[in-house]
Amino acid sequence: MTIQILQWTAAVYLAAGLVAGLGLALDTHRFERASVALLALGAVFHAASFGLLHLAENPPPITDLREAWSFMAWVGTVFYLIMLRRSRLQRLVALVAPAAFLGAFLAALRPPGGAPVESATGSWPHAHVLLSSAGFSLLGLAGLAGVIFLIEHAQLKSKKTLDRRFPVPSLEALDRVNAVALAVGFLLLTLGVITGVIWLQTAKGRPWSGSAHEVWSLVAWAIYGALVYGRFVAKQGSRQLAASAVGGFAFLLFVVVGMEFIS
Amino acid sequence: MILLGMNHQSAPIEVRERMAVDDPGPLLQKLVDSDDIEEAALFSTCNRVEVLVLTHSLESARHRLSTFFSRDLARDGQLIDFNLEEVTYEYHDGDAVSHVLRVASALDSMVVGESQILGQTKDAYRAAVECGACGPILGRLFQHAFSTAKRVKTETRIAERPVSVARVAVDLAKQIFERFEEKRAVLIGAGEMGETALRTLKKHGLESIRIANRTPERAAALAAQFGATAHGLDELDTLIADADVVITSIGGAEPILTLDLATRAMRNRRLRPLFVIDIGVPRNADPAIDAIDNLYRYDLDDLGAVANKNAEQRAREAERGMAIIVEEQQRFDGWFAALRAVPTIRHLRDRAEGIRSRELEKTLARLELSDVELTAVDALTKSIVNKILHAPVSRLKREAEREEGIAYLETVRVLFELDEELDQE
Repeated sequence: MTIQILQWTAAVYLAAGLVAGLGLALDTHRFERASVALLALGAVFHAASFGLLHLAENPPPITDLREAWSFMAWVGTVFYLIMLRRSRLQRLVALVAPAAFLGAFLAALRPPGGAPVESATGSWPHAHVLLSSAGFSLLGLAGLAGVIFLIEHAQLKSKKTLDRRFPVPSLEALDRVNAVALAVGFLLLTLGVITGVIWLQTAKGRPWSGSAHEVWSLVAWAIYGALVYGRFVAKQGSRQLAASAVGGFAFLLFVVVGMEFIS
Repeated sequence: MILLGMNHQSAPIEVRERMAVDDPGPLLQKLVDSDDIEEAALFSTCNRVEVLVLTHSLESARHRLSTFFSRDLARDGQLIDFNLEEVTYEYHDGDAVSHVLRVASALDSMVVGESQILGQTKDAYRAAVECGACGPILGRLFQHAFSTAKRVKTETRIAERPVSVARVAVDLAKQIFERFEEKRAVLIGAGEMGETALRTLKKHGLESIRIANRTPERAAALAAQFGATAHGLDELDTLIADADVVITSIGGAEPILTLDLATRAMRNRRLRPLFVIDIGVPRNADPAIDAIDNLYRYDLDDLGAVANKNAEQRAREAERGMAIIVEEQQRFDGWFAALRAVPTIRHLRDRAEGIRSRELEKTLARLELSDVELTAVDALTKSIVNKILHAPVSRLKREAEREEGIAYLETVRVLFELDEELDQE
């Protein structure tokens, strides 16, 4: 049943992406509302799949990267839908929907569950993975908003007109996405680190094992701490903050995905 | 159909303004009161004065229109001191139709794709209808022009990109700021272009405005217009640090927004984005401020370059618009040409009906039929005539829409001796 719902989720996300893409191709705003509605419907299906998973096994372990991607895609989609209420970001559905589709599609390829990671039983590992994944997703969105910001900034500075077929949100809207995603993402990442420490303590009797993953994760957390300080305390300029968000996420990606492959 | 007019391309403004009409009603009535003109309409905007008439006598109507321009339109009865033929253009039939469609679709406007002309065309139509000068044919042409304008607007991207410096500035500001309501603007100087840019920004929601000028009186006068506050140039440090949009339009050989001033202001505003619209000539903002992060400076050349690029895009879209005009003109011409068939068809039907009723009368005189039988025979003969005429009449209507249709009309008139019948009458 979960797989079927995930398949439906992927299909609806795909439809949202196609409708948004069609709107861009035809250069019309007419499809925006439909694409946002489809994306929201996809997010509801996606949430239902997590609900079913939770009912089937309480709490279910997120045992591999695909399930984590699926969860991150859902968190990112919900965050984007919330941000839509305040900013003109409608046309970004063309970017968000394919990413969400990919997350749901990969998870739908095989049944959820499987062999859990050694000692990954109980609530703490579950909370650690969920919180870290959600934080990762939001910090990824902050990085994406940063990339778009930097492109738009460079074009405005060089006095080139932007191609209207690919309209981007205003710098102010992108900066707001960056700020909110950074604040919430960092909070979730911090909670992820804390629950990870508790998990280690519970499973191995010590809060720190000194593994490369732990070391780099802590470095990434410290970098994001500095970014949060730069934005909310030092009040850096939005261009610098956009560049920092991109750099910070590149490092986080290395820690989470790169370390996975290295190990 | 004749259209005589002058526009921004054919006549200078000094000429056009002397022909401008505020109330076209009385003038149009005067036109349609003459024997040669059946229907008339008049467009009068700041860029054009045009008279469109429907006539059955081309030469007389041309003469009438010429005198209409030189005597009736000339403001305050002034005699015109220029050669009318040099500043006007004249279109007939299909060309006149095409011109009306182009005008309504803003393809003949000074700023191609502008949105006001359609409303002005509707005003011209309304005025002509109200004074009784617009009949079924020009009425149909106007309706066709409105739907054509809608097609051009929806099927091309002609009106999409702004081509005025002020609108380009607003478009750029929208790329930087999400909404203008809570943003603050400073206008430095009281130049006309700066004022226009500020007015356009205000129209898009900008509310908090400060005006700084060398002459405090001029700043105060302008501030009163915009509901803004007036300041001296000595307050620039504070004003810029507090603003989101700075418009400079002030005289002076040296830039007023220097690198030092901008750097200080950006430091004080903690690098929040600042959009500088420099409309001054010579430039009021030092180009060196481009190096400051989160500050976006556009001078007149930069804005003009964007506007020109947009204008090129509009010109490309105008070509697509012209293809729609050609298509729509052919449709209207078809409808208009089909009207040629109406007298012939009417004569043909009258002829057939005359034969039927005469023959029926002769036959009935020899028979003794009840009322029911009389009605049945009458209906039968009418039905036979209608069925015989149905195919040729339908064909005539169809063919009349084409150029060669005239041959069909002539053939029918000869075969059924319709002209001889008219002569006998």
